[in-house]
Amino acid sequence: MPGKARHPDPEEVAGFSPSTSLRVKVSLLEIAGLFCFIGLTSFGGGITAYIRRMVVTQKRWLTDDEFMPGLGLVQLLPGANVVGLSVYIGNHLKGPIGSVVALGSLLVPPFVSTCALGFLYFHAGHTADAHAVLAGVTAAACGLMASMVFEAGGEAIKGAFDVVLILITFALVRFAHLHVPYVILIVAPLAIWWHRPRPPKLKAPDTGDSTVS
Amino acid sequence: MNKTLLQLAGLFSSLSLSAFGGGKVVLPSMHQASVGEYHWMTSQEFVDLFSISMAAPGPSMMVVTLVGLKACLPYGPAIAILGALVATLAMFVPSSILVYFAGNWWDHWKESPWRHSVMNAILPISTGLILAATWIITKTSIHSVPTAIMGIVALALMLFTKINPVLMMGMAGLISWVFLR
Repeated sequence: MPGKARHPDPEEVAGFSPSTSLRVKVSLLEIAGLFCFIGLTSFGGGITAYIRRMVVTQKRWLTDDEFMPGLGLVQLLPGANVVGLSVYIGNHLKGPIGSVVALGSLLVPPFVSTCALGFLYFHAGHTADAHAVLAGVTAAACGLMASMVFEAGGEAIKGAFDVVLILITFALVRFAHLHVPYVILIVAPLAIWWHRPRPPKLKAPDTGDSTVS
Repeated sequence: MNKTLLQLAGLFSSLSLSAFGGGKVVLPSMHQASVGEYHWMTSQEFVDLFSISMAAPGPSMMVVTLVGLKACLPYGPAIAILGALVATLAMFVPSSILVYFAGNWWDHWKESPWRHSVMNAILPISTGLILAATWIITKTSIHSVPTAIMGIVALALMLFTKINPVLMMGMAGLISWVFLR
């Protein structure tokens, strides 16, 4: 990204220029290994920064110039960032087969463990012990979700109209019981129109280029 | 059985392509469809499954795996796993195909000013959807003063400390087991 100064991590400074596009040789097995690991250790937040550290700083499979556009892309498209990044990085390293391997490795181990937990729940979920544990886990999950509202809101709210957009979206789900695709079809044109590119004099403060969160 | 599998595939592939801002934004639709429209589970069961998926390893949207599992459970464990597979593929494959192909022409418009417009437009919409998801989960699950306090403490911990969310949910489960059993 030309012109975007970034604080380099100490480990990546020596002998590493983020703009050199070096095609590293990475085997499918290495891709599978990394994404298995990411899949089993990813629990939501902070995962994009972690993936960047793994593939850019430590393994040097991609340069920042290659990674950051991918992150920008997956943030714009539907789906979890970690899932989109696995497809993007896999494709970058090994083409379509790399994407399939990365996505599969990311999802298969959690799929197996999640199914096991599911059967455990269906089998023992109605005992008093399970109810008590789940009540606590769910209460914490509510707090976690609420913190994500604050987090997302902090990024989203750049003016009063953003609050209006948040409330319209909420109301369409909560009170009109619309499904999410319809809500997006209704609110997105309004939101994109409001945030359309303006002449420089009216320009809102620069929000920064695809920040790693 | 085939009908349920088709419903899972149709529901989750349409939600896959709507999950702007991550999988959490489609939770309200997932809840509405699995509880209200298809009657695969009760609201409480949905929230339980959601909590399990949050505390388990994997991308947060592995709740789709559990919804697929539960929807097909009446047909036996083997079909339940098939249901889980169908739901998981339907949730993760369409958005991944989109990323794959969009990557090819991304170079042409990644410098476009509209990119920031779209990003800035997505953010408040996904915030509103996460707010709606939080509302549904909280309304279904928090009925007592102790759980309400735990939720508020969890929120404060997430906002003001760097606690690992999985560790926090595990501790909450333990505390709840000890005191609320």
